[in-house]
Order: sequence, then C-alpha cells, then structure tokens
Amino acid sequence: MKHLHVDVKQDLLRANDLLAQQLRENWRNRGIFVVNLLSSPGSGKTSLLERTVQALKSSYRVLVLEGDLETERDAERIRAQGVDAVQITTGGTCHLEAHMVAQVWLQVNGQTYDFVLIENVGNLVCPASYDLGEHLRVVLLSVPEGDDKPAKYPKAFRTADWMVLTKMDLLPHFTFDPERAEAEARKLRPDIHTFRTSARTGEGVEEWVKALIRARSERLER
Amino acid sequence: MHELSILQSLVRSLEEVARTHRAKRVIRFRLEIGELANVVPELLEEAFEVLKAGDPLIQNAEMAYTFLSVKIRCEDCGKTSPWEQRALRCPHCGSVRVHVVQGEELRLRDVELELSEETS
Repeated sequence: MKHLHVDVKQDLLRANDLLAQQLRENWRNRGIFVVNLLSSPGSGKTSLLERTVQALKSSYRVLVLEGDLETERDAERIRAQGVDAVQITTGGTCHLEAHMVAQVWLQVNGQTYDFVLIENVGNLVCPASYDLGEHLRVVLLSVPEGDDKPAKYPKAFRTADWMVLTKMDLLPHFTFDPERAEAEARKLRPDIHTFRTSARTGEGVEEWVKALIRARSERLER
Repeated sequence: MHELSILQSLVRSLEEVARTHRAKRVIRFRLEIGELANVVPELLEEAFEVLKAGDPLIQNAEMAYTFLSVKIRCEDCGKTSPWEQRALRCPHCGSVRVHVVQGEELRLRDVELELSEETS
C-alpha cells in the first residue's frame, strides 16, 4: 500500500476570493462602485440605506442588493424609495458569498449603475469571512448594541474600511460611549474611518453620503 | 455557522488533491486555523464527521488542525510579537503601523493519501 504526503497550503476560501476579485475588476471597469454593509440584525442597515438612496438617486443610478434568509421585505422598502433593489434570499445561509452576488449580477447585467449597495445578512460573524468583490466594506454598530462589540467580533471590524455608528438619537437612553466604540474599532483597524448617524433625525447622513461619493470617485480614478 | 460552507470547500480541495495524484483515499489531512479566521475548530471537526460519511474517498480520513495565534510585525521598530489586549498595536514601541503576519490563516496545510495499487 503506497502512501503519499502532499504539501497543499491552499486557502479554503480560495474559490470565493478568486470570484470576488473578478467581480471587483469587472465593476471597476464599468465605473460601478460597490459597497458591502455588515452588521448585527436590527442595527439599522435598511434605514440608513433608505436615507442614502434618497440622497443619491437624483444624481446617481443606484442598485441595492438585499441579503436575507427569507422574505422580500427589505427590497420592497428600498423600491418604495424609487431605486432598483433585488432581494437575495439565502434560504438559511447566514451570509452572502461571491457566487450568490455573481448570480444576481448576471440577471441585472447590461444595466449600468454608479453605485451598488449590498446589504449583507444581519450577522457580525460569518459575513466577515466572505469577500463579495466590494470596493468598500462598511460595518454598522447601533447604540443599543453596546460599545464593546468590536472586541467581541474582531474580524468584522478588522476587515471594515469604515464604521458607522447608527441610532445616535438613542444615546441619552443607553450607556454607550461612542469614543470607546471608535477606540475599540481602531485597536483592530487603526485606519478605520468612522461616522456617527441617526436615520431618524438625519444626523450625520449628509457627511456619510458625501464620503461615499468621494470614495467612489477616488476609487474609480485610481 | 458558516463552518458547513467552509467544509464544502475543504471537501472539494481534498477531492482535487486526490484526483491529481490518482489516490484511492485520503488517510489524514491537516488544517491551519488562525485566531482571526473566524471559525470554531471544534465545529469544523463535528461538521466534517457528518460530511465525510458515505464518501469513500474521505470517510476514513482523520482531520487535524494547527491553531495559529496572532503575531504582528511592526513597520517602525521591526519587531515581531504576539498581540496584547487584542489590539493591533506594537507592544514594544506602541506604533499602529503593524502587519498581521500570522493568525488569519484558514487553509489546507497537507494531506496524506493512499495511492491506488496500479499507480507507479
């Protein structure tokens, strides 16, 4: 009986990462800026997106991809704002993978957008491991969740380019220290760019939208 | 719980390696799992037990893993050290210009195969 020892050294997420890289280049060549939004369930991703598309839609063509385990509800909320939205129901999978995004992308291909905003499945663990080909990864953290989240979910905060604190209007009701949350995030990602927003009052939304527009032009000029 | 999805990639990799070497079966293999890889090694092991059943190529395969803790290298002072207080900051000089040199791995390190009799 012959045995053979093989040195493999192969990344287990290689297939996902290769596809993500292809998507990223394809989008960039078409002038499409893609953002991947990660957070816990109920931290206000859809509400921030509603505000964001309201501000972007007069000057930019926007597509929103909504990742959820089940239901079309989030996509319907976005469509009500007058922009295109496609629901990706994962049927139980707790995160989006590059092939799910690629499949949906093929269905909408031919249309050109300026922004594609991907709302990942609400979960701070699994989505952090999957590159979707995005140009910018944003993690959201809401005031009621607590300022200790970055330390508990290091990968999500380590891989995020930006962090958006949401539901800032609730600050008086919680013992949440925004400075502490930002300091915790910087321990894992020293150059993380941070925002403080409230979709309800509109606080910080303009700054966030301007930063998105700036990031898009910087990225596409490179 | 993305461990199952990772496991499916693992099985594909094992099948690919076995096919390349025309192996009869996989005897054992070893993973490298970094502290920042975001997976629970025990869950991977349990999921593998479920997944390997019924697949002749891997049903008797043993899984082992090496856990790799975070190590950072400082661009300013050049020292390599473990991280402290789960912060990406050099414990020697305090710089945040550091690279993670170990701890993000999630890979198939090596495989031991049993070759078919006719393979020379």
